Amino acid sequence: MRTRTLLGSILASIGVLVVGWQAGTTVLGTTTVATPSSSTGGATTGGSTTGGSTTSGGSSTSSPAATPTSAASQTATYTGTEVNTRFGSVQVQVTVTDGTISDVTALKLTDHDGKSVQISNRAAPVLREEVLAAQSASVSNVSGATYTTQAYLTSVQSALDQAGL
Amino acid sequence: MTTTTARPARATVHVDHRRRYARRARIADLIVVAFWASGAAAIALFLASGGAGQFTSVGEAITSLGIVTGLVGTDYVLVMLVLAARIPLIDRTIGHDRAMAVHRKLGKPALYLLLAHGVLLLVGYGISSGIDPIAEIGSMLALPDLPLAFIALGLLITVVVTSLVAVKRKFSYEGWHLVHLLSYVAVAFALPHQFSNGGVLAEGTAQRVYWIALTVLAFGSILTFRFIEPVVVSLRHRIRVAGVVPVAPGVVSIHLSGRGLRALDARGGQFFQWRFWTGSTWWHSHPISLSAMPTDSSARITVRDLGAGSAAISAVPTGTVVSIEGPYGLFSDAARTAPKMAIMAAGIGVTPVRAMLEHASFAPGEATVLLRAGSEDETYLWDEVRAIAQAKGADCYVMVGERARRGATWMTQHDRERGVSLTSVFPDLLDSDVYVCGPSGWLDAVEADVKRAGLPSHQLHSERFDW
Repeated sequence: MRTRTLLGSILASIGVLVVGWQAGTTVLGTTTVATPSSSTGGATTGGSTTGGSTTSGGSSTSSPAATPTSAASQTATYTGTEVNTRFGSVQVQVTVTDGTISDVTALKLTDHDGKSVQISNRAAPVLREEVLAAQSASVSNVSGATYTTQAYLTSVQSALDQAGL
Repeated sequence: MTTTTARPARATVHVDHRRRYARRARIADLIVVAFWASGAAAIALFLASGGAGQFTSVGEAITSLGIVTGLVGTDYVLVMLVLAARIPLIDRTIGHDRAMAVHRKLGKPALYLLLAHGVLLLVGYGISSGIDPIAEIGSMLALPDLPLAFIALGLLITVVVTSLVAVKRKFSYEGWHLVHLLSYVAVAFALPHQFSNGGVLAEGTAQRVYWIALTVLAFGSILTFRFIEPVVVSLRHRIRVAGVVPVAPGVVSIHLSGRGLRALDARGGQFFQWRFWTGSTWWHSHPISLSAMPTDSSARITVRDLGAGSAAISAVPTGTVVSIEGPYGLFSDAARTAPKMAIMAAGIGVTPVRAMLEHASFAPGEATVLLRAGSEDETYLWDEVRAIAQAKGADCYVMVGERARRGATWMTQHDRERGVSLTSVFPDLLDSDVYVCGPSGWLDAVEADVKRAGLPSHQLHSERFDW
């Protein structure tokens, strides 16, 4: 190959790669930033006492309680912020019963492409179990689903912040 | 060795071939740069969609590498399609045969990259989800469009393996070509999974737009220049066989009639792909050079029955419909880089030289011709060449006889012993463009000799007549 062609090719390739790298860094910067969704907070049904007054938490009347329990268990749901990743957005809803996390429901999961759907479908149940066990958003990464994990936990944390947990 | 010299007073017609070559070389350089940049762009696509953050764990790093190899491998395959599309710009600047040489060279790397793509993703995804790569195949096949992609890879392996020199030799050209056409199917089958499963090419990304453009460019140029244009040109010029005239034992000139043939804009020395529509010959097209410049209503090619296919076309009846693709090739005065021309032809290789000499514009004394034949029977069209050389003021030498048995030489034993050499025939060799056309063995010997004499490679233009 002629020197001019060689140099031209090397320079052009480096240029293209640098542009790609720069674009990638910008994308990365934006993916980790949680963008608050318009429905944040407003969608929560904080304070409403729905159901479970007799079933969960034991009844206050029948047994002479050894521990002082409140009259009825308090259940509320909090919707986390929607977090955008390059594979799609992630949003969860956290159910809090008597100050503990009783359930996490995924409202949105990464769905840009077939592989993302497969990955997030695998990761979501694992993350749910871990959050329930740890009672916080500080749980370990699901390998191979880093984007989903980070977005999922960010959304969980924002819901917990609303719940004041 | 005999000499027929005609040297009228030297005219002052002057075209700056060096400057024209410099321009052509710049475009050729740009094409090469674009090729390498497209490979880099494939990597950049991946970087742009997440950068180095995708190499944080072993599984992820392997997956990321798998995606990159897939992107670069596919880019190479698309480049191969572009190179094989016979795009006029590429043929004019780097030449069809050099483009095809690059096409052949890219085949194996592209296949290795795509194989690596498959294996790395199986391993990478396997590690991520905690199962072995073989079990991961099942989970992969459950993804949309992945079964097609697996078939595509299988087809691609078939295409590349049948193109290995050792394997290709066992096939007839037609059989091999038929298998080779599967590469279109392979590329088409691999497309859906790139867009439905590739996170890099997800909907709404700039990467997706670029990739679609690249695919459209590759398939579009194949469709345009390999299918649409030949059909349009053939229909427009209505070429038919006007007569077949024997030139020598086993060699015939096929005279053709047509309409507006000058508009084909063929340069002397170029070739067309010819297809003769008779029951036994329509399925095979032949690359054959013009042996005379076309008039508006007639053209001529001269063929020797080298293969079974050529023998059949030397017997086509008058009136046979002919379709063409072309003109192709840089074996013409358009490729000149230097002030003088040194032209060598052996055997049936004289045909493009005959047309080039007729078409090329050069001042008297600027061109020198050496005609070579194994025996007096093989001096095809020599009378015509001599007549043109005389009329245009080119020196014309001839050399008849078997090549010397000992040593790699293109000369006869007798001439070698007499001390004939390249520079004795072409005194201004290093100031010349050397055009060589003939059978492979002879041509190799000439090329070696020319390089030994110190001729820069861009001044050497050769056309192989073997097949």
